[in-house]
Amino acid sequence: MTAMKAVEATQKKKSKLNNTVILFIILIVMFSVFSYIGRPFFFSKLNLIPMLNNLSFIGIIAAVLTMVMVSGEIDFSVGGNIGLTACLTALLLERGLPGWQVVIIALCAGLAMGAFNGILVTVIGVNSIMATIGTMFIWRGIGYTLSNGESMLAMNPVIDFIGRGFIFKVIPFPIVLLVFFFTITYVIMNQSKWGRRIYAIGANPLASYLSGINVKRVKFINFLFCGFTASLGGLILTSLSAVGMPQHGQGLELVIVSSIILGGTALGGGRGQILGTLAGVLILSILYNFLTIMNIYYFYIQIVQGSVLILVVSTYEIRQAMVRRRT
Amino acid sequence: MEKTSKKYSGIINFLRTPTPTLIGIYIVMLVLFSLASKNFLVIQNIKGIFNNFAVFGILAAGVTVVMIGGGFDLSIGSTSGLAGIVSAVLLMKNIEVPTPIVFLIAIAIGCSVGFINGLIITKVGINPIITTLGTLAIIRGVCYFWANLNPRILNVFVQNLGRIYIGNVFPITTVYIIVAFVILTLILKFTRFGRDLFTIGGNENLARLAGIPVDRIKILSYVISGFFCSIAGLLLISQLGSGRPEYGTGAELEVLTIVVLGGVVVGGGKGNYLGVFIALIIIQTITNGMVLLNVPIYIRMVIKGALLVLVISIDAIRSRRNLLPY
Repeated sequence: MTAMKAVEATQKKKSKLNNTVILFIILIVMFSVFSYIGRPFFFSKLNLIPMLNNLSFIGIIAAVLTMVMVSGEIDFSVGGNIGLTACLTALLLERGLPGWQVVIIALCAGLAMGAFNGILVTVIGVNSIMATIGTMFIWRGIGYTLSNGESMLAMNPVIDFIGRGFIFKVIPFPIVLLVFFFTITYVIMNQSKWGRRIYAIGANPLASYLSGINVKRVKFINFLFCGFTASLGGLILTSLSAVGMPQHGQGLELVIVSSIILGGTALGGGRGQILGTLAGVLILSILYNFLTIMNIYYFYIQIVQGSVLILVVSTYEIRQAMVRRRT
Repeated sequence: MEKTSKKYSGIINFLRTPTPTLIGIYIVMLVLFSLASKNFLVIQNIKGIFNNFAVFGILAAGVTVVMIGGGFDLSIGSTSGLAGIVSAVLLMKNIEVPTPIVFLIAIAIGCSVGFINGLIITKVGINPIITTLGTLAIIRGVCYFWANLNPRILNVFVQNLGRIYIGNVFPITTVYIIVAFVILTLILKFTRFGRDLFTIGGNENLARLAGIPVDRIKILSYVISGFFCSIAGLLLISQLGSGRPEYGTGAELEVLTIVVLGGVVVGGGKGNYLGVFIALIIIQTITNGMVLLNVPIYIRMVIKGALLVLVISIDAIRSRRNLLPY
């Protein structure tokens, strides 16, 4: 029995390694090809640093959303959350509040939004896709109401530092945040009891409930965490662009969800790797950055984004079906 | 006792649906709005309410079919926009394709989008929400191919399509909606397709085991939705008088609210067109009332989103059969 388990575990480890390694190989190949085609601009400091900055908030949100998705739920409202946070930040700065207070209030607003989603899903029992599509519109609508549809300047030493500051004068602060959040989520998912519970809930909620896991609490805290990081992403985006506008983060949920699924996370939950998500985020961000550099209209990039989402999910489903047929 | 219950079973079943509650809500709303604004209960305004919901009503007709079958369609706004702008371009002065052919092309576009959606959802097996979210983005991107043409609608027949009032009071678009709803009700009630659709929505595995061609019927439901999208696209360009790539943006939110409020259960198996029709009037009246009461446009957006969340929460509470602890 134990021997079988050990064998299973090694097999699992092997396949996990393979998927993520394949993704990283694809990433390196893509990066080299793009550097060649897009020379000399693609592989230059002028492009890579803004690209990494732009990727940082997508990555932070994706890392935490991976936890939500492994537990079998989803959060589409992150884009709306970014819009609301951006407007709130700019509005509070305009009122003359000190920067650190604005940051705290914005993050608390993110927690509140996450809590609202969590209550809808766990207490009332709404399907999380439907619930968060609804709240996505609410958050964005509140963002529009706060800013009256205009973009507002957001300049403040603290806010500037979040997106454009450097640590030791070399490393951009958003990259530090990105690495920090990926480390935290990696440790949670792979080393802690909490992560084990998340995987268990995603694989079989009833069995996890019967074995004593408080399923609702785990899901609720995941949503809370997701709202928090989404508003942190909003702060980074506000700082990077130096304006708070309600259109910030529009359509971002498409990119984030497709990069998570590309990273190997199952839509129904129970499977997923933080490192895979990192690879997915890097691949898609590089792809979209390359398309922008090649002077392709935003609307056509939108077509690519939609197609990538469908393509990625289809490959996943087809592979799943093949595995099922084999066993 | 049994006899009476049999005799009135139709009425009792009707009372069990959310439709009577909807009628009650509507009456309360009418009273409130007419007290709040003296411009509300005016024939001009009522005409406007009925003519404004044309596009949403036609879209709701198709989405209801999809949702009864347990599916989902978020791509409706984009699809109607695509059908609209393509037909507007074809009707432009220096191209001038004959009108019937334009209509056929528009319908072909809608149906093929529905067919592709259905194919991906059933044959590949992707979650319908994710699929149609993807096609929503793709089709909206395709719409922008014609972004700089800005075609005007000068064709009188197309102009009249969504603008005529019968006897100067009753908008013709409402006639379309009623005809569509009645035909679809009859189809759902009396054809094999309709009964199979309800079975699939109720329990897909059971339907498969019972030998119902699940995939074919689901694909057909998405094609029906696409068909109504193209009609809605034609109505859009007719009422607005031009073709723009952004037409129909965000329609999915409104239509989803209408359909769920109308008592169509998310997940399928339940729903009737009377409820959807009343929900349509309710939502449109709320929109109209907010305009009359001078509610700022951005707050209207929040209220609409909140309405959707409220409606799906009620739906979730109502359809919870046995409360699971997780």
